[in-house]
Amino acid sequence: MFEDIKPADLSYVGKKAGRPDMVEKLTGEAMFVSDMELPGMLHAQLKKSPYARARIKHIDTTKAASMPGVRAVVIGDELDYHIGLYIVDKYILAKGEVRHYGEAVAAVAAETLEQARAAVEAIEVEYEPLPPVLHHMDALKPDAPLVHPDLGTYSFVAAAFTPKPGTNVANHTKLRKGDVEKGFEQSEYIVEREYSCPSVQHVPMETHVAIVQWGMGDKITIWTSAQSPFTVRNLFCNAFKLPHINVRVQVPYVGGGFGGKAGIGVEPLCAVLSRKANGKPVKFQASREEEFSLLPCRSALTYHIKTGVSADGKIIAQKMTMYWDAGAYADYAVNVTRASGYSAAGPYEIPNASVDAYTIYTNKPYGTAYRGFGHVEFHWAVERHMELIASAIGMDPLEFRLKNALRPGSKTLTGEEILTSTGNVVKCINEAARMIDYGTLTPAEQAREKQTGWKIGKGVAALHKAPAMPSFTATAVVLKMNEDGSVLVNIALTDYGQGTYASIRQIVAERLGFSIDKIKVAFENDTDRDPYDWQTVASKGLIMSGNAAILAAEDLLKNAYAVAAEALRANPRDLGHDGDKVFVRHHPALSVKFSAMAVGLAMPNGNGIGGPLIGVGRYIAQGLSNLDKETGEGNPALDWTYGAHGMIVEVNEATGEYHVLKVGSVYDVGRAINPEIVRGQAIGGMMQGLGTAICEGYIYDQQGRLLNPSFTDNKIPTSKDLPMEIECAVVETPQIDGPYGARGVGEHSMISVAAALGNAIQKATGAEIMHMPMRFEDVWRSMRNKEPVDNWITKSPFGSCRSAPEMHRHE
Amino acid sequence: MKIKLTVNGLIYERDCAENKTLLRFLREDLGLTGTKEGCGMGECGACTVILNGHAVNSCMVLAVETDGAVIHTIEGEANGPSLSDIQKAFERNHAVQCGFCTPGMVMSIKELLAEKPKPDVAEIKEAVEGNFCRCTGYTQIVEAVMDLTGNPEKKGELKHV
Amino acid sequence: MFYEFRYLAPRTVAELTDALDQHRDDGKFLAGGTDLIPNIRNGVMKPKFVIDGKKVPDSNRISFSERDGLIIGPAATINDVLRSRDARDSYPILCGCAHELASHQIRNRATVAGNVVNASPCSDMAPALLCLGARAVIRSKAGERTVPFTEFFAGVKKTVLKPGEYLASIVIPSESRNARGTYLKLKRIAGHDLGIVGVLMVRHGDSIRFGVSSAAPTPVLVESVTLKDSPDEAARKVLASVSPISDVRGTKEYREHMIGVYVRRLLAEVK
Repeated sequence: MFEDIKPADLSYVGKKAGRPDMVEKLTGEAMFVSDMELPGMLHAQLKKSPYARARIKHIDTTKAASMPGVRAVVIGDELDYHIGLYIVDKYILAKGEVRHYGEAVAAVAAETLEQARAAVEAIEVEYEPLPPVLHHMDALKPDAPLVHPDLGTYSFVAAAFTPKPGTNVANHTKLRKGDVEKGFEQSEYIVEREYSCPSVQHVPMETHVAIVQWGMGDKITIWTSAQSPFTVRNLFCNAFKLPHINVRVQVPYVGGGFGGKAGIGVEPLCAVLSRKANGKPVKFQASREEEFSLLPCRSALTYHIKTGVSADGKIIAQKMTMYWDAGAYADYAVNVTRASGYSAAGPYEIPNASVDAYTIYTNKPYGTAYRGFGHVEFHWAVERHMELIASAIGMDPLEFRLKNALRPGSKTLTGEEILTSTGNVVKCINEAARMIDYGTLTPAEQAREKQTGWKIGKGVAALHKAPAMPSFTATAVVLKMNEDGSVLVNIALTDYGQGTYASIRQIVAERLGFSIDKIKVAFENDTDRDPYDWQTVASKGLIMSGNAAILAAEDLLKNAYAVAAEALRANPRDLGHDGDKVFVRHHPALSVKFSAMAVGLAMPNGNGIGGPLIGVGRYIAQGLSNLDKETGEGNPALDWTYGAHGMIVEVNEATGEYHVLKVGSVYDVGRAINPEIVRGQAIGGMMQGLGTAICEGYIYDQQGRLLNPSFTDNKIPTSKDLPMEIECAVVETPQIDGPYGARGVGEHSMISVAAALGNAIQKATGAEIMHMPMRFEDVWRSMRNKEPVDNWITKSPFGSCRSAPEMHRHE
Repeated sequence: MKIKLTVNGLIYERDCAENKTLLRFLREDLGLTGTKEGCGMGECGACTVILNGHAVNSCMVLAVETDGAVIHTIEGEANGPSLSDIQKAFERNHAVQCGFCTPGMVMSIKELLAEKPKPDVAEIKEAVEGNFCRCTGYTQIVEAVMDLTGNPEKKGELKHV
Repeated sequence: MFYEFRYLAPRTVAELTDALDQHRDDGKFLAGGTDLIPNIRNGVMKPKFVIDGKKVPDSNRISFSERDGLIIGPAATINDVLRSRDARDSYPILCGCAHELASHQIRNRATVAGNVVNASPCSDMAPALLCLGARAVIRSKAGERTVPFTEFFAGVKKTVLKPGEYLASIVIPSESRNARGTYLKLKRIAGHDLGIVGVLMVRHGDSIRFGVSSAAPTPVLVESVTLKDSPDEAARKVLASVSPISDVRGTKEYREHMIGVYVRRLLAEVK
């Protein structure tokens, strides 16, 4: 919509505009759920499993229940609720069996946090430890213990997923395009490699927290630090078999989400405690350690790619096999499998392709949505693979990428045709390369190399992502005019830092033709007040809610014009408006103020016409289709956002230490509605990408205990970890069905950052690293062709990268 | 234990549990919830306040240690109805996203500028090294301080290609 | 916090030593709190009494005299050292190590004394105190005793402090003023982190000392290297004195490699 309006003709869209929610965050007035207290509120604490897999033989809560201040104690056996987004496989508290280290086994609500903690310590749990299955490749073996022996009895979304009962496979997504085997036969070169990355944590600065009050008559109020209030309500009602009108979910300010708060979290736990405590509100806030082990993480991935290439460097066939480590519960991981399945090859044309993406249960903290929804993980593999193919066949990696990049006329893996308006990945790649003077060292860089002795290398990596969402995802926006002619926007898309509300405000002001100072986006979300939005994920917020906002603005104007037409006795077609009033275009003195009409217009004689001015806009994804379960064919993509990074790194060949000298990032965003917010997302995501590339990753021992459950050993980037230079740019190929031509970019900045770094390190030193993170020691080992250090399942710390040492390698 | 301290220019007298951290005392006993808990262990800096002129992680200070102390938190940063210069610079430069790290970040900057009115970029980064931000990637925060202090180094802009 | 304890704030040295003596079994000395409070939070320590040493006047004093050298009080923080003119002018090595410790907020609270009493093998201050010939003045109700830091560390997180004793001051001799050196700390990120390994080299006249952290159960002093040694010989000597392990931060192999790299680099710089 309005994708072809020139920048000069726009007042707010595409221009620098403030961000309305910063002030209250800067003063400390913004209220997060962690700050909230309600009268009579109880505090919850949890008893957690020290074992990765164990039978719960007995839980004795008698001592705990009688301790001072304790108002409720709950264990799994009391509860019969099953929860799950796509596969309903989880209990609120472990029942019968614990499936991962840190899993909650019992919960206490008491008057103070200390009393709750003391009571938790008094709970006695008798476990029978069982041998856990920890590595996802081991979980595929026929003799592997089953994480979910009852997988066959769980309900699941059959249109999209295929669990395999009797195994640890929660889902198998298939895609078949053309004839892969024939393609290999026709290929001059075949390059086959395996890449891997571990689980990492989102690390929102505000950990998961919720307050739930189970009121009389099963009326439940939930305050939660969450991304998707309607999903919380829906899953909650499904689990507890309650009507939707019984449950109200409110989301105030949220201290970061990154996908970890996309679904349902600790709300059911607080709910059952509140119910048992006669309806007193119960608050649970995860400690940072619990955030790392009780709450979900990002799935680990092993990605095996086999590519057939022609003599002149064209990809002919590619066989892709992804093994996703879901951890103990499927949660979002099954959908990550599906979404990564159709996106699996990166932004390249693959005429003959096969994808098999497996979601595999293991006895570890489970994986959920994470910024990029699988794309950070598999682009690591794809973009390293492109680099390795190029060096194997003696072609420059940039040239190889450009040769195979998707262009108008290309067909994706699911058979979707790329149009000019889809976006321009070639331009992104070329610009990223230009930003770093790819392929050469400048005189300054040569001088630096001489002076420091560190080798400088440059790499590029490309990316693409479409929102991973149901084909019928919808949203709505409501505009309500206030008595003074200002406009309130109600929206259930949440803003947990990404800044979409600022852009929505600009879009509404633009479309209404009002001063932006008259537009307020109500910040907190409330399922009793806001119109439905599916979830705030997938980089679909701006495009869908932006469109809905435009439609809502048009609806509001239409309603205002109808009232004005009656008041001015004019044909609505002959009316115009400015920021204050509606007027007759050929007699502009004849006008009526918006503020006069806002809540109902009073005619001079007292007659009332019209009524409160409200505009409603609803937008549903159009033309998306289910994917064929055998071939993967279909149209899953609302839009594609392309991008690329260029990275310059200097490496100390003696030690493996490295510094990132420059990152240049380019994204085809269609139109940057708010350039500073786009830049904020670009840099923030890039740094999160660097974190996953350089230092982040869960480390377990052979018993499945998490060895780094805190910031002491689960490091994230600090201000000192910034690259020396950062450059961000946008290409703007208008998205015809995007608001003013815009597409989303919230996730994309994190994708392929690690691969660009790996490519640059390889260019500098020849080190071929195929697993993340690339710690200094990993670089050092790779340069010397030493055995890599296993990040995931460590004995202390050695282990094979491919499976736990005592068991056989997956063949 | 009875303690008497000054927070944001106001004197508070309270009877406080001896094992309570300053962080929880500020938030629960004084209702100053602007200071946040991010890790409870002094790694993330979300709990940073200024104690007797120095930026500290309040999660590792006992409230009872602060008898007689002078403390500044985010709630005291604004000048009545106007934002402080640091707050205005943050707003101008989009240095806030989710806002959870922001109070601690501002406090660290406050101490920095009291000691070094014209810090260079390296000094700014070092001042907030102990303040994790997962959202912004730090750059716009550094630029806010550069803007505020008239640092001549060039700031970045989103380029249109 | 979860564990209950009583807080005592003695106002004089006599009150402090009395309190430490009375609570020798159930009390802990509170300096900066940057180790003690997280330990209590995590249930690693459960003292019934926490005795604050900071309320004794002059406890954070740093003073210098030609005769006595640099005297660091029991509550002097890492940033107190970095802000001290005397420390900056006369003991740059101490400042070099101090600067590597954690983050600014922690340096505003963590004390030099606390860092070494904690006796973590990762201590950033210990290498400096070892290489500069510093002495620990240990005080209790019974009186004072002085122990050179070479005899201060007894094992992983263990010192020679007996129950009822506290580290009353750290004395760095005046002669060490002219020592020059550099501390190299290998971290996983550029931001604040515990060291994977840390190597300090100090040259004083013709003698060389190495202080190594994160490479043994305690911080280690190596005095056997001379200016005549080749880089390889120096590395061999230092490696012979340490015993790094493999853990989540790095393998033994890499630590040994990096210690060697650092020793060679530091020796080359000073020659």
